[in-house]
Amino acid sequence: MESTNRGAGIRRWFTRPLDGDLMPPFYLWLGIALLTLFTMGPFVYLLTSSLSLTRDLLSGHLLPHAPTWLNYRHLLAGTVGSDFFHALRNSFTVSALTTVLTIVVGTLGGYALARLKFPLRVTLLFIILAMQLLPSISIIVPLYVMMRDGIDFSIPFTGIGWHTPPLLDTNAALIAANLSFSLPYAAWLLSGYLQSVSRELEEAAYIDGCGRLGTMVRILVPLAMPGIAATAIFTFLNCWDEFIYANAFTQTVASKTLPIVVREFIGKHSIDWGLMTAGGVVASLPPVIISLVLYRYIVSGLSAGGVKE
Amino acid sequence: MAEPNAAPKRKRAKFTPAMRHDALLAYVLLVPTIYILFRIFIVPIFQSSVWSLYKYNLMDGSDPKPVGLGNYADIFKLQDFWTSMGNTVYFTVFSVAAELAIGFFAALLLNHAFKGRLLFRGMIMIPWAMLTLVSGLLWNWIYQPGYGALTVVLHNLHLLPDSSNPLWLSSSTKVVTFSAIADIWKMTPFMTLLLLAGLQHIPHSLYEAAVIDGAGFWKKLRHITVPQLLPTAIVAVILRIIGAYRVYDILTVFTGDAKTSTSYLTYNYAFRYFYLGKASAMAWVSTLLILILVIVYMVLLKRNQDSHL
Repeated sequence: MESTNRGAGIRRWFTRPLDGDLMPPFYLWLGIALLTLFTMGPFVYLLTSSLSLTRDLLSGHLLPHAPTWLNYRHLLAGTVGSDFFHALRNSFTVSALTTVLTIVVGTLGGYALARLKFPLRVTLLFIILAMQLLPSISIIVPLYVMMRDGIDFSIPFTGIGWHTPPLLDTNAALIAANLSFSLPYAAWLLSGYLQSVSRELEEAAYIDGCGRLGTMVRILVPLAMPGIAATAIFTFLNCWDEFIYANAFTQTVASKTLPIVVREFIGKHSIDWGLMTAGGVVASLPPVIISLVLYRYIVSGLSAGGVKE
Repeated sequence: MAEPNAAPKRKRAKFTPAMRHDALLAYVLLVPTIYILFRIFIVPIFQSSVWSLYKYNLMDGSDPKPVGLGNYADIFKLQDFWTSMGNTVYFTVFSVAAELAIGFFAALLLNHAFKGRLLFRGMIMIPWAMLTLVSGLLWNWIYQPGYGALTVVLHNLHLLPDSSNPLWLSSSTKVVTFSAIADIWKMTPFMTLLLLAGLQHIPHSLYEAAVIDGAGFWKKLRHITVPQLLPTAIVAVILRIIGAYRVYDILTVFTGDAKTSTSYLTYNYAFRYFYLGKASAMAWVSTLLILILVIVYMVLLKRNQDSHL
């Protein structure tokens, strides 16, 4: 009796989905196994390669015979190491400052777009969305000339103001250029988040005598914090990954970011795959950890409609 | 995210003082956003349209000379430009189609209720979170002839005779194909998460009704999942097409051949040969193509009513 039950149970495992599910458990777990192989296979290979000796790598061993930290020690020492640390610092500076600027400016603009009625509001939202989706290549040539000549902040016809020195090969150039995609993105996403916050609390604050700005800072911004956090994470990750501006505007270790240094590995150390994979692991560690720890925010950001890669 | 308190549309006779105050505040809050975007987006994109009508070579030191539509005529006569267009279209179609197919099944799997679901949902984020350049470097390592993982695995599975040792990246077409595979690995999670969000909105009652009618897996898929998911899928596909079209960074890891994508060719015209006029014209061709997609995307967003426009 029990054995036939078990037989039927096993058969059901192959043929009958569980309640409310689409696939029988067997196919579900087969699919999960394939998905895991596809996702983790290359990633694990990156990790094992970075722990392998060059001689193991060049003889086609997928797993290291004697795991070693040697590649990491090479990566973080000598000139390679100092270039790599510079790049790490540049990447961090550019990404962090861009994120702070983007969030402050974007929250102000996003609030206006979400909560205030004014002429041209929808037009402005459309323009911002278009800016978010257009590729960097559309504006990279004039931005390059702008960075070469320095940015002019003077007031027209008065001669009052400030002309920056040439910005090529500085972190400032990358921050300014990154704003061209991060700010439209943040303004779009934040206006969506701020609009989804319930109005009731806000109206209570008005009755208590708070002004528009007071309400925004004290009520709305704290309530929209998960959305603001998601936007900040996306901005940071996009800046960390940014390559085309960095490739055009940087020349020396003064401003080269991690993607540029990783790209240069391939010319310079073309046999040393151990060193290159170790560099890849270290460069990818911050975004991977951020995404795993803050998974919930990222999912909410992705499904919020204002999506970019 | 429709505005809950939005008043029904009616003709407003005039601006009340409160409304005028709101509009004024909105413009004040938007000043930083608009100023920055004007300086680093609007002016550059306008500048690039002007330069696309000039012969403007940085290298020979001559002054820019107006040539009308000459640059456009030149690039349309250029075989390299059409080759790069063809490669970009091939890359985009191949990678987005594969990402849609794999992402759809991955989302179906991860939408099931099973133990450890969150773990697997987090796991699929890893490739997406990695630096694009690092995923390029990783796949380049996998494709190395002789000792790279692809050859080793195929040898061990006896899918490839031991005597055969193919050069996976020996032609431009192969480079585009194999870098598309790297892109598929990296961007499928993005598609999966978007489709997963869409799947979660399909009401369970639909499936229950289908079960009563005796529908199996494929029937449920065809009659419920696919039609219900279609709006989400279209939006995701358009976003991915826009993203894939701009491919540049991953290709630079694999090849020095700029004809593999339009962005790559545009970049080289600008920053290798410094033909700023021709590069601007090429950039504008891309801008116009993407703008068409942006308009389609906006129409869809408006129709789906899930945005705050």
